Amino acid sequence: MIRVQVPPVLRAVTGGARTLEADGTTVREVFEDIAKKHPALGLHLFDERSGIRRNIICVHRDTVVRPDEMAERKVDQGEELVLANAFAGG
Amino acid sequence: MGVALVVGTKKGAAVLKSDGNRKDWSTDFVLRGWPVTASVRDSTGRYYAAVANDVYGPAIFVSDDLKEWKQLEAAPRYKPGEKGSPGHIRIVGASDFMGRYKDEPRLVDQIWALHATKDAVYAGVSEAGLFVTRDRGQSWEPVDGFNNQPGRDQWEPGFGGLCAHTILSDPGNPNRMWVGVSSSGFFRTDDGGKTWSEKSAGVNTDLGICVHHVTHDPAKPDVLFRQDHRGVYRSDDAGDTWVVTETGLPCGELSDGHKCSFGFAIAMDRKTHSLFIAPLDSDNFRLPHDGQLAIYKSTDDAKNWQQRKDGLPSQCFSGVLRGAMSVDQLDPGGVYFGTSSGQVFASNNVGESWAEVASGLPRIMSVEAYAT
Repeated sequence: MIRVQVPPVLRAVTGGARTLEADGTTVREVFEDIAKKHPALGLHLFDERSGIRRNIICVHRDTVVRPDEMAERKVDQGEELVLANAFAGG
Repeated sequence: MGVALVVGTKKGAAVLKSDGNRKDWSTDFVLRGWPVTASVRDSTGRYYAAVANDVYGPAIFVSDDLKEWKQLEAAPRYKPGEKGSPGHIRIVGASDFMGRYKDEPRLVDQIWALHATKDAVYAGVSEAGLFVTRDRGQSWEPVDGFNNQPGRDQWEPGFGGLCAHTILSDPGNPNRMWVGVSSSGFFRTDDGGKTWSEKSAGVNTDLGICVHHVTHDPAKPDVLFRQDHRGVYRSDDAGDTWVVTETGLPCGELSDGHKCSFGFAIAMDRKTHSLFIAPLDSDNFRLPHDGQLAIYKSTDDAKNWQQRKDGLPSQCFSGVLRGAMSVDQLDPGGVYFGTSSGQVFASNNVGESWAEVASGLPRIMSVEAYAT
């Protein structure tokens, strides 16, 4: 099981939950499992082409993982991902 | 009978409530952090609020009491594989003028309009398209006849992207609807959405077709009033032909020298057939004329317009967006609008005088008034 920390704005979609639990062996698989368990949240992670939205990032083992790296980034059971948005603004 | 206003802003929605006098207002702020781009109440009394986050995309929240909101698990979405408009993607991406996005898919990035009919709710979106739900938002279907109509690949975006922002329907004829798209036209269907034709004959289209907003009385659906990029127009034949109707309106000079009354919002009080618009000083400035925030009112079906500024500021340098004006349809009619600098003004006497009922809000993108 992987724990995923949810950013504040998306907690309106999770009923206030700060973290969710999901399965998967890569970051993308974890996000896919979240979308399956929480379809409303899935709308915000994936666009129509099933691509992870461009400006979403996550933090894994203290490093930033960008959307085009998420299908390859392996995660181990018990680890935590921090879902976040890329910096925008000054 | 009271009134509730759902004021959609760049960072959430202000819900203002008042009794029938519409003088004292309470304010609640909901959907914090979500740009709220449109709202509607369906025939069952359910409220819908469309949101569009720059990072997390669009969605729709629903509420039965305007306090507790729950996001729907479905939303308008294109089918995978539909080709996107490079012009739209360039604008919403705020970058890429080298054509890198020419093979990108068509994606929904914002819901610009929600429109309720007796048994459905329609959503107008960007990249421009039309969707419908007939099960209170549990599923959304694309209106393929609109979204993939001949000529769609030639549509050009406006300043805010390629967006379907205006939806009107004819309660007496479910086969007839109208949809406005910036900056590509005002479209009408007479066969329930299977085919559409563009309706701008008589409108100045020297630099393209750029309808900004259209209103009508559903009881007289074929008489349409149009605030266009290039002036104010009326149609008596469901949009087949249009005539300029700007007597009494302030006119500014557009970038190509054309003089007309530029603006975005237009709304109607159905009981008196009073019309309201918020003119801005041309597409170059997009500010109230001479800094005087003013609403112009017509009581003779747009033949003549009169300025109404009692209670409005004389030093105002913000505009009124297309979705940011609404009428509560009570008697006498209450009229409401929000500015791009976060002020809400209300009139409880059919637009004759105004009072500020909220300020300090984020940029206001939509205002809808609901009799409660």
